[in-house]
Amino acid sequence: MSKAPDLVVVRDLKKYFPITAGILQRHVADVKAVDGIDFEIRAGETLGLVGESGSGKTTAGRVILRLADATAGSVTFEGRELIGLNRGELRPLRKEMQIIFQDPYASLNPRMTVGSIIREPLEIHNIAHGAAADERVQELLRLVGLQPQHANRYPHEFSGGQRQRVGVARALAVGPKFIVADEPVSALDVSIQAQVINLLQDLQQQFGLTYLFIAHDLSVVRHISNRVAVMYVGKIVEIADRDRLYDNPLHPYTQALLSAIPIPDPDIERRRKRIILTGDIPSPVNPPSGCRFHTRCPVAFARCSVEVPAFNEYEPGHRAACHWVEEHGGKAPDLTAGSAVVA
Amino acid sequence: MALLEVRNLKTTFKTEDGIVAAVNGLSFAVEPGSTLGIVGESGSGKSVTSLSIMRLLASNGRIESGEILFKGENLLLKSEAEMRKIRGRDIAMIFQDPMTSLNPVLTVGEQIAEATRLHLGLSNRDATAKAVDMLRLVKIPAAEKRLKDYPHQFSGGMRQRVMIAMALSCDPAVLIADEPTTALDVTIQAQIIELMNEMQARLGSAIVLITHDLGVVAETCENVLVMYGGNMVEFGTARQIFDAPKMPYTMGLLESLPRLDQAGSRLVPIEGQPPNLLRMPPGCAFEPRCRYRMPICKEPVALYDFGAGHLARCFLYDQRAEGQKTIPAENATLIPGTAVAPPQETRR
Repeated sequence: MSKAPDLVVVRDLKKYFPITAGILQRHVADVKAVDGIDFEIRAGETLGLVGESGSGKTTAGRVILRLADATAGSVTFEGRELIGLNRGELRPLRKEMQIIFQDPYASLNPRMTVGSIIREPLEIHNIAHGAAADERVQELLRLVGLQPQHANRYPHEFSGGQRQRVGVARALAVGPKFIVADEPVSALDVSIQAQVINLLQDLQQQFGLTYLFIAHDLSVVRHISNRVAVMYVGKIVEIADRDRLYDNPLHPYTQALLSAIPIPDPDIERRRKRIILTGDIPSPVNPPSGCRFHTRCPVAFARCSVEVPAFNEYEPGHRAACHWVEEHGGKAPDLTAGSAVVA
Repeated sequence: MALLEVRNLKTTFKTEDGIVAAVNGLSFAVEPGSTLGIVGESGSGKSVTSLSIMRLLASNGRIESGEILFKGENLLLKSEAEMRKIRGRDIAMIFQDPMTSLNPVLTVGEQIAEATRLHLGLSNRDATAKAVDMLRLVKIPAAEKRLKDYPHQFSGGMRQRVMIAMALSCDPAVLIADEPTTALDVTIQAQIIELMNEMQARLGSAIVLITHDLGVVAETCENVLVMYGGNMVEFGTARQIFDAPKMPYTMGLLESLPRLDQAGSRLVPIEGQPPNLLRMPPGCAFEPRCRYRMPICKEPVALYDFGAGHLARCFLYDQRAEGQKTIPAENATLIPGTAVAPPQETRR
C-alpha cells in the first residue's frame, strides 16, 4: 500500500486544565492532561490511541476536534490549521469531523426520537430539510443495521448496541471524512461489541472514512487499527504500524500493557510470562520528572528521572520515547526475564 | 461433599413491567480450594446468583425455590442473625466497585478490624495487628501508616487490595468475587489477578469469580460456568470450555472476541440481542440468535453430559434431533430433570 496523504497532523499539542484555589480563584496548578503530543493520521486509515485512565487519550480526541480548546500546539485538517479558528470559521469544518461517544446511554437526548436525533445535524448544516431529510434518516438507519420505522422511537426503547448504532448514524449524517471514536464499544457486551466493530469497519470501507479509535482495550485496538499510538500520562510513548507495535514493542510501558491483557486461552495463559508493573498511574497534576514512566519502569536508570526522552524513530514509522532503547541502539529491553537483561 | 452447592435456584424480581426470573433453575457445586468462573453478559443472572448465595438481594428480589448448601447446611433456612455470622466469616464477597463497598467515614484499619473483632472475637489490639498483617499480605506499602487512611485516600487498585484484605481477614472457605477487576486499568488488573491467585494458593479459599471477561477466566479458573438468560448453558474445565465448547453461545462468544494474539480477520458476531427476561423464548433461551437452531429448540432444553464433567444445554447433542441437526454433532447423555421451562409471562 502506498502511503496515503496525512489527513490530520497533530504537532506538540497541549491541553492543561487549570486548578484554582481560594476566593480569588488563584491559579495554583495545572492538570496536564495532554502535554505535547505529535502524530499524523493518514487518509483512510484507523489510528488506534490506547492508554489507561488518566493518560489523556479522551482529552486528545476532544482537542483535535476542537470540542475543547488547546493550550498550545497545532492541529491541521487537510492542511488547514484548526487551532485559533472561531466558532463561525469552524462550523463548515464540523461537517468533516464527527465523534462517536463511549456511553450510548448518556450521549443521546432521551426526549428526542431517534429520527430527530439523526435529523438535527442535517438541518443545522443545511444538508437536507423536510421530506429529503426524512429520506436521509431512513437511509442512515438502514445503513447502520436498524429499521426505518425505528425513527419514531426514543433512545430508551433500544438496547446498548442499538443505541450505539444510532450514535454512529448521527455521526455519519453529515458525511464526515474523519471520525473520532471514543471507546465506542467499551460499554457493550462482548457479543454486541463484535457487531459494532464490524459495522465501523464496513462503513470505513464504504465511505473511505478515517478513524481515530480511542480505547483502553488493546485487543479491540489491534483488531481495528492500521497504526497504534500508546499514551501514558499526557505523552505518546510509542507509535508504530499495528503488527510492529504488537510483535516488537520497544517501550517498557507498551510491553507491560500488552503482557497485562489476558488471552482467552488457558493453554497460552499458563505458558505466558507476564510483566507485572508495581505502583499506580501517576497524577497528571504533578507528573514524574524526566520520563513519566520512570517511577514504574523495571529498567529505569539515573538519566530517566532527569531528562525527558526524545521521541526517536527506530524503524520506519516506529517511534518510541525511551532512554533505554536509545542507549541500546533501538533494542527493546527484555522484561520477562524477571530482572531485565542489560545487553 | 461439595463445599458450596446451589440446587435449582430460582430468584425473581418484581419490576414495574412484571415479575422477572433473573435466575431460573440454576445448579452447580464448588469444591474446597477450587476456582470457579461464572461467565455471562449483562442480564445473564451471574450477579444475582452471588447475591442469592449471600442472601443480599434487593428488597424487590425473592428466592422462589431451590437450596443453597454450604457444608451441607441450607443457607435459605438460616435466620438473618445466623446469616450475619456466615457472611464475612465463612463466605466473603468482593464487589466490582470498591469505592461504594467501603465505608467512606471509617479508616480502612477500622473496617478490617471490625470484621475480625466481630467474627473471630479478637481484642481491639489483636484486631488492629491482624489488620496490619492483612494489609501487608495484600502488598500495600507502609501498612501501619495506611491503616489510618480513609478509602478516598487510596487509588482504585489499592482500594481493591483493601477489599481483598478485608474479605480474607477471617479466612473464609469461599470468596465470591463479583467483577473484581472490571473497574480497574489493565496494568492494575494484572496486579490484582496475581494477588488473588497468590492469596488462594496461600490461604486455600475456594473462589467464585464472576466476570464477563473470558481472558480473566482463562487466566485464573479451573472450572467455568457459562450463563445465558438466567441459567447455566455450559459447564466444564477451562480447557474443555475454551478448546471444545459445545453450546453454540459459548462458541459464538469465543469467536466474537478480538484477541491480542490474533490480528486482522473479521470478527464473527452473535447476531441479535440478549433475551428480554420478561419475554423469554419458549425453549432454549439462545434459540432466536443461534445459527444452528432447529425446530426442536422451541421446547425446553435439558443439560447433556459429555463425560469428564463437561455439561452443555443444547439439543444438538440429543438423539431426538437426528435428522434436524444443522451441523454434525455427537449424541451425549441427557441428564433427566434438568430441562427448565422459561417462566410464563406474569403481568401484574
